[in-house]
Amino acid sequence: MTSPLEAKSLSLVREGNAVLDGVSFTVARGEIFALLGGNGAGKSSTLLTFLGFLKPSGGEVLVNGQSVTGDVAAARGAIAYLPEAASLYGHMTAYENLDYFLDLAGKPAGRADLDAALDRVALPAEARTRRLRSYSKGMRQKTAIALALLRETPILLLDEPTSGLDPVAIDEFHDLVKALAGGGQTVLMVTHDVYGACQVADRVGLLRGGKLVGSFSAANGERIDTETVHAAFAERQAA
Amino acid sequence: MSSVRRIAREEWRLWLRSKVVVAAALIVAVLIAVTSILTANRIANEQAQRVEQQVAAEQTFFAQPDRHPHRMVHYGHYAFRPPPPLAVFEPGVDAVTGQSIFLEGHRQNTAMFADTKAAADLGGFAALTPASLYQLFLPLLLIVLGHALFLRERESGTLAVILAQGLPGTKLALGKAAALLAVIAMFMLPLIAVAAYSVTLGERMLAAFSLVGGYFVYLCAWGAIVLAASVLLTQRAVSLGVLIFVWLFAALIVPRFAINASSAAVDAPGKIESDLIMLAEQRKLGDGHNAADPAFMQLQAEVLEQYDVETIEELPINWRGVVAAYSEAELTDLLNSYAEERMRLEASQSRIFGLFGLLSPTIAVSSASRAIAGTDLATHHRFLRESEALRFGFVQALNEKHAAELDYAIDMNRNADEAARLRARVNASAWQVLDEFRFAPDGADERLGRAGGSLGILLAWLLAAGGIVLVAARRVRL
Ligand SMILES: Nc1ncnc2c1ncn2[C@@H]1O[C@H](COP(=O)(O)OP(=O)(O)OP(=O)(O)O)[C@@H](O)[C@H]1O
Ligand SMILES: [Mg+2]
Repeated sequence: MTSPLEAKSLSLVREGNAVLDGVSFTVARGEIFALLGGNGAGKSSTLLTFLGFLKPSGGEVLVNGQSVTGDVAAARGAIAYLPEAASLYGHMTAYENLDYFLDLAGKPAGRADLDAALDRVALPAEARTRRLRSYSKGMRQKTAIALALLRETPILLLDEPTSGLDPVAIDEFHDLVKALAGGGQTVLMVTHDVYGACQVADRVGLLRGGKLVGSFSAANGERIDTETVHAAFAERQAA
Repeated sequence: MSSVRRIAREEWRLWLRSKVVVAAALIVAVLIAVTSILTANRIANEQAQRVEQQVAAEQTFFAQPDRHPHRMVHYGHYAFRPPPPLAVFEPGVDAVTGQSIFLEGHRQNTAMFADTKAAADLGGFAALTPASLYQLFLPLLLIVLGHALFLRERESGTLAVILAQGLPGTKLALGKAAALLAVIAMFMLPLIAVAAYSVTLGERMLAAFSLVGGYFVYLCAWGAIVLAASVLLTQRAVSLGVLIFVWLFAALIVPRFAINASSAAVDAPGKIESDLIMLAEQRKLGDGHNAADPAFMQLQAEVLEQYDVETIEELPINWRGVVAAYSEAELTDLLNSYAEERMRLEASQSRIFGLFGLLSPTIAVSSASRAIAGTDLATHHRFLRESEALRFGFVQALNEKHAAELDYAIDMNRNADEAARLRARVNASAWQVLDEFRFAPDGADERLGRAGGSLGILLAWLLAAGGIVLVAARRVRL
């Protein structure tokens, strides 16, 4: 069976600089894969390549077994993407933002669906009819997560999804992601939160200088050991 | 609802929310409405007035009492060119060339020999007419409205979100284009009203709506240029700067340059220079008032032989009239050849000017607009030719009366005393030789034919700019 996400010896050059260098991994259906790495390691670039925003200079990325460069539209149709900076319209309310982007995605949703998604990310009902300009960072992030949920795509690419969320919201978010994966959705997420990654992910990859330098899996039902990953992270950063 | 329409609708909501944009649109709408109404009033008055003046001038001519026919030749007559209905919108060269001319014997109207500079001032972008508002100010407003249309999404990071929803860049660009198109459609309303009004003044539907179509294509071409800049460039200040420069280039620099280049390329002699040459050649023809001028010896020999007589006194016709007709024909031939040469030069200048439409859509629309409205140089030239034919016709008809109906001896003796003067006249019924003159605009087909080249250039502008938008949007990067 083909994996929803696969990077094959992926290399990437951005403005003359090698950003990714021979990165290979697959994410299976229903799996949560978390990419860890220092600033500038190439995490966000990896996600952008899966979306076809960046073209590999070597190797290839496959979505549902199909090369992204071959059919960008198919890849984007299968993926819900949460960008690094939650960029929605400040002049629109949460409802308006969701309605607009879902319309563009060709997947319009009714008010009840929007409310259900916003409930899941715990955006206060009072805020939903306010313009995003007046939101806190975490509220904007929640709205963006709700958009990703509403797409109901088989694959989720999340770039620092917990950034800006308070501890309670982070826990709730992790539960949410696990539930989604349990429902068969495939998740590739990028994060700086080593503890969180170990809590939620089935597998953690360590990216450094554009190379995948480590991979940790949960063994027989246990969670990944945070200490081990943390140590590896610190050591490999120093190296 | 299709995504393209949705994007356009959101764009409109944003514009409506921005008071500045609404204010700007209102100001322009009012400006167009006011200039249109003002010019419409003026033209409607002038049009009626000119026809009345033409009729009045004819009636005064017909109503002249018994006179010496040559006095009527110098009494002269007026020809009026009523402004065509669409001059309401596009006065074109009318402002420069004038619309009435005086016709008399041995003289061609001065308009025929006006300084080329005036005629070559084909641009005439100076006056505030509805046409110049459409040609110059509306593109500027499109720039203000649209310079950040696409790049704003890039700046705010929403471009990535939009594209990540699976929407192709081309659809996003089409949505923005649709928003701009709706603005343009709104801008077209005053012009459509003017066109409809011109139809009630007698304009042909085809011409009126071709004018609307021409300006629509023009504004769409500008819209596409604006959109192309906002897709290709990443900073709004840069986009605004580049577009303002393009506007200056298209609306001011190229037209100025085109005027200079077209007069330089077609070397028209200055007025004084050509006047002197013409005068010298004119002298050689002899003075038609002086039948004894040696220049007419040859003619005299021929006419005497034709009637088989020895002296001019024996001729059955009035020799003075014969000379007047002969010299009028000679002189007219000479002046016509100069006038034709001058009009040929002006026409080629105008053609070269029109070619600069390839560098500036503003020139293309201005040329098309004049041609369709019937306020272009070609129409003015036809007026000059027709009024000259009118002049030559009535002057020669009077000269014929002079030759046939006024006795030579009486004519020669006309200055002896008052009684002699009174005898040297022909009956007023002779003045009926004047043809009624009504200058009519060219048919709509013909005007459209003249505008064809410029309309083609406009369409090419639209296709080129639109093509750039689509290609750039298809390969849009974050
Ligand atoms: N728009 C861009 N143009 C050119 N190079 C870029 C661009 N964005 C990032 N880079 C370069 O690509 C490399 C990887 O960047 P990337 O954003 O993928 O890192 P990251 O792992 O997501 O970092 P962070 O944790 O800070 O988000 C960096 O060296 C960065 O300088
Ligand atoms: Mg990043």
